[in-house]
Amino acid sequence: MDVALPSDSPGHAKASSRFHVFVQIAMVLAVITGLEILLIFLPFAKPLLIGGLVLLSAVKFMFVIFVFMHLRWDRIFCTILFFIGLVLAGGIMWALVSLFGVKDSLPLTFQP
Amino acid sequence: MSSHAATLDPHQDATTATGIPNKKLLFWAFLASDCMFFGALISTHLVYRQHPPPGTPLPTQVFNIELTSFSTFILLMSSLMMALAVNAIQRGQVRSMRRALLTTALFGLIFLGCQVYEFRDFVYEKHLTITNSIFGSTFFTLTGTHGTHVAVGVLWLLSMYAYSFRKGFGTRSAIDVESMGLYWHFVDIVWIVIFTAVYLLEYVLPAAR
Repeated sequence: MDVALPSDSPGHAKASSRFHVFVQIAMVLAVITGLEILLIFLPFAKPLLIGGLVLLSAVKFMFVIFVFMHLRWDRIFCTILFFIGLVLAGGIMWALVSLFGVKDSLPLTFQP
Repeated sequence: MSSHAATLDPHQDATTATGIPNKKLLFWAFLASDCMFFGALISTHLVYRQHPPPGTPLPTQVFNIELTSFSTFILLMSSLMMALAVNAIQRGQVRSMRRALLTTALFGLIFLGCQVYEFRDFVYEKHLTITNSIFGSTFFTLTGTHGTHVAVGVLWLLSMYAYSFRKGFGTRSAIDVESMGLYWHFVDIVWIVIFTAVYLLEYVLPAAR
């Protein structure tokens, strides 16, 4: 039978602090999402807007994987394993977008 | 043997060669492979969005960014509830875990409901289907695949909720709940990328016509 940790145990205190961390991170993620939506309506240069969106998404991504998915508390091998897949995925995306660039993705029936 | 050691500390397992519980290691490997799967789908969309055929509606005319923002927020909050569920079971608080699991499943169902409404709106009102435009093909394939992942996640959540009523369910099962949590958070991070690359990008960098 499992028993909840006693309230004066170090494990209980650690679990409580993680609770607050999770809630705070969730609030930060919500604010960042709001900022992303606001950003698309701002009259800034496109490279700046795209860079901003990518940066904000990356920040959200890192918060979720390192805090919610516990990567910061796990062994480094889990991080390495996941980032291998992530880097390969990024490589696939870069390769496909580069290979099938603007001209190559034109439909055969395209009339200029 | 390894599961007993894993419940003492969910991040360590002295009986395995890597020091990581085997279930967790397997799941991280699966998520790494799923990253590549979604990477291929997202990049296909990014390639084909560049030259929409003439006469097709603009994505910004089709999208309902308010609804999508709401569903994004709901999915983020579901991720929070999932993290709290894992936190609860690691502390041996099964009832708290059950409440958090049900809330996560509820938020997942709300997200799916928003997706269904959006798809119906696109097909019946905006006349964007999977077959009548290249944008529709890539959009529905990508978001539909993601939606399927969410649906599987909801089924898993509800199954875990039912399973939690079995005798002996407790901190020994924390690794199972954590594995499910990894899947759910992965679904959330994929949506983070999709929301930016598919929805928001159309407002910032419209396709050439």
